[in-house]
Amino acid sequence: MKKVYIYKLFERFWHWSQALIIGGLGLTGFEIHGSYNLLGFQTAVSLHSILAWAFLVLIVFAIFWHITSGEWRQYVPTTKLLKEQFMYYIGGIFRNAPHPTNKTVYNKFNPLQRMIYLGLKILVIPIMVLSGFIYLYFHYPKFGIEFDSLQTIAYIHTFGAYILLAFIVAHVYLTTVTGVNTFSSIKAMIFGWEEMEDEEIKVVVEEEMEVALKIIKSKLHAGETRSNILDTALEEVEGKLGVMRETFFRDAISNSSAGYFCISKEGYYKEVNEAWLSLYKYDSRDEIIGKHYRLSRSEEDFRELEQTVAHVLQGETMSHGEVKRICKDGAEGFHTLTLSPVYIDNEINCFEGFIIDTTAKHLAEREMLKKKIRIAERQKKNDE
Amino acid sequence: MKKFVSIVLIILFFGVLTDVMPQEKTDSVRTFPLVNYIYKANRNTSPSVDHSKFEILKQDFEDAHQLTAACLSCHTERDKEIMATSHWNWEREDVLEGKGKVKLGKKNIINNFCIGVSGSEATCTRCHIGYGWKDKSFDFTEPTNIDCVVCHDQTDTYKKGKGMAGLPDPSVNLSYVAQNVGTPRQENCGVCHFWGGGGNNVKHGDLDVAMLDCSREVDVHMASEGEDMSCVECHKTEKHQMAGRVYALSSENKNRATCIQCHTSKPHQDEMLNDHNIRVACQTCHIPVYAKQNATKMWWDWSSAGRLDEHGKPTHENDAYGNHNYLGIKGNFIYDDWVKPEYYWFNGLANHQLITDKIESVPVQMNSLYGSYRDKGENQASLEPSKIWPVKVHRGRQVYDTINMTLIQPKLWDKEKGKGAYWTDFDWEEANRLGMEYIGKDYSGAYGFIETEMYWPLNHQVSPADKALQCVDCHQRKDSRLASLTDFYLPGRDSNAFLDGFGVIAVIGAIIGVFVHSILRRIMRRKCFFQKESNE
Repeated sequence: MKKVYIYKLFERFWHWSQALIIGGLGLTGFEIHGSYNLLGFQTAVSLHSILAWAFLVLIVFAIFWHITSGEWRQYVPTTKLLKEQFMYYIGGIFRNAPHPTNKTVYNKFNPLQRMIYLGLKILVIPIMVLSGFIYLYFHYPKFGIEFDSLQTIAYIHTFGAYILLAFIVAHVYLTTVTGVNTFSSIKAMIFGWEEMEDEEIKVVVEEEMEVALKIIKSKLHAGETRSNILDTALEEVEGKLGVMRETFFRDAISNSSAGYFCISKEGYYKEVNEAWLSLYKYDSRDEIIGKHYRLSRSEEDFRELEQTVAHVLQGETMSHGEVKRICKDGAEGFHTLTLSPVYIDNEINCFEGFIIDTTAKHLAEREMLKKKIRIAERQKKNDE
Repeated sequence: MKKFVSIVLIILFFGVLTDVMPQEKTDSVRTFPLVNYIYKANRNTSPSVDHSKFEILKQDFEDAHQLTAACLSCHTERDKEIMATSHWNWEREDVLEGKGKVKLGKKNIINNFCIGVSGSEATCTRCHIGYGWKDKSFDFTEPTNIDCVVCHDQTDTYKKGKGMAGLPDPSVNLSYVAQNVGTPRQENCGVCHFWGGGGNNVKHGDLDVAMLDCSREVDVHMASEGEDMSCVECHKTEKHQMAGRVYALSSENKNRATCIQCHTSKPHQDEMLNDHNIRVACQTCHIPVYAKQNATKMWWDWSSAGRLDEHGKPTHENDAYGNHNYLGIKGNFIYDDWVKPEYYWFNGLANHQLITDKIESVPVQMNSLYGSYRDKGENQASLEPSKIWPVKVHRGRQVYDTINMTLIQPKLWDKEKGKGAYWTDFDWEEANRLGMEYIGKDYSGAYGFIETEMYWPLNHQVSPADKALQCVDCHQRKDSRLASLTDFYLPGRDSNAFLDGFGVIAVIGAIIGVFVHSILRRIMRRKCFFQKESNE
């Protein structure tokens, strides 16, 4: 179970103040409608008017935020998976079927949500605000801008209120059914971090890696130097786009035993990540950066690797089979690796790749082999 | 940072909340703006002139006319002012819708109390500011016919005699009265305006002799322990022309005494309340009930009049509260006190059922107040949008000509029996004939009794602020004070059954949907779980 940062500070402030304001407007509004006596009519009217203004101010801020942050894209309607999402709510959800869509910082609404929220934003809320302010300021037919009667305005406003009330019922309920736990979605809306199943995380990681790589690529094309590019890019992605750096992204890589490295075309280490360091049993980057990769290979493996590197430096991406590594303390380990060239100014400048540890598997296989040999020997003995 | 923001928000929220909660009403503290008014405490009330020092007033007046001549010897030209007033003429030229300019007033109007003065002037003109108006021969141009002291007496010893056509009672010491004159007080106005219709508070319902000495509860302006205002402080008077008009007689929207002349058009701190005044009269909220101290007449049925006892004297009965509910000369009454007004749209214009008008609908509208929600003042004569007003409606049944289909002015009063007055001879036939003959109108000889309604917009007996109507008195589903004004949408009162039905179904539907969905989820999950287990 991991946490992913989904909702930003303003977004949460906006959501909850909006919830508070709409709640207050509903409470006072239905009192004005005559549905009950609670605060007293006068208090209800004053509060309703104040909340109306507060809501308008909030809307102005929210519109600004949506435009400047690009978050408006979250509300662009899509029919992709719309049906699946709907079917999930009326079918799959009962069978514990997987959620057809995943919540990520780039795509936090499912297609149904997109549609409904967009409807609220461009239809229901504007109509409520507009009819509300007409109600508030043109309630007496007199000279000037006027309406023959408040009736039509009042009916529209009341209708919208019922629609919003029904929405709130469904909305609150659905937050409790789609998260990992009953309240995890609500918690996420409060603190920003959403708990997710590992499976979901995988999707999120993939998506975020994709974005990270895209950003790196664009930076490389823009001609920035290679040094620390990955780290700064990742940091930016992690920080800005909401992956929790230490506990999440690093974990994801180290848990899967994937180490990252970048080696200059001359063969010197330029960059490694923590996972790489731990696999090679180094304590800090300083111990390895600038050293030749020959250091961590046996003589015969190095020659084999050299050939592969030559291919990579020609522009190929290679997936190397299992290799043996020599750690700092002289111990041996095994891993598979991938190698791909890194271009700077359209010239191959260095190569990078990920290594995946297979030591355990290798050792197990070796033990199995020994066992087989022992069994074979025992059998030989028995036969004799 | 986040904590700080949330604390600030919470403080703001509660700040706003306490701001909008209705404040504890501190009625004794004047929080409202006031213009054109000097508080009693800041006023110099000592008279500028001591009339007891004038030799001309120290004489023994032979008659009241002589007293008037003495007044006019100093106050020259005042007679011309008086003669231009409706207090003197008992009529005034007003434009009535569909009738053009009409000279109308107490002199010729028909109401549903004592019907009209014609033929009975000698008793009715006890409330006229003149001497000797006993019939049509009265000279309205004779200055010494003016009664100055009925309005200006400060001694409370002056009174007009019964059936004496406005002349003072023989017991009055005119010299004493003449030496003690001043600005009219509540008592001077009240002697007629409280007692109109033949008894205290009978007609208006908001003008009661009790207001001479009342609590703030009854009348916040005239309360003895308060400002104890006199009538003329609101009914401002210039050249004897008094501001204010009563729509039992008036028809045009001019020269009215208003609340805003002192209270301004923005007396409330709450703008929403000030806005109400665009379409709601101040009186509507601030006169929540009328006839607070003494009952007023709500119903007068002339048709049962004429019941006599064995001596030929008219009988009378009282109700449980000591108010008349039957008088042999007048018929049946219903009195009521602490009455909730009825509410009507009113733009300051009224019409009247004249003696010459055909009866076209029942109940006959003795006077009709114009106005509607849609009347935004396009009517040039009214200028202002119609407002909702509290109104006393006096209903009754009175004589009409069943063939000519007009109301009848009967002769009601005479000094002596046998002259055909109804109150002495109890013969409608003769009273009708004589009355109509007196005013020169046609009478077919066939009469009946017809239901009537008369409208009295309320202006007096303003309650203290904390007793004013509250929002929900009108803005509520049931028992709204404005239940009868159905030509507009009133928030809190009005709703659309179809729309509310839809809304409730939508919300309940959502709740049921949620409920069913969650139950299903629980059941189905358990099933899946068991299936998995059995599969393993």
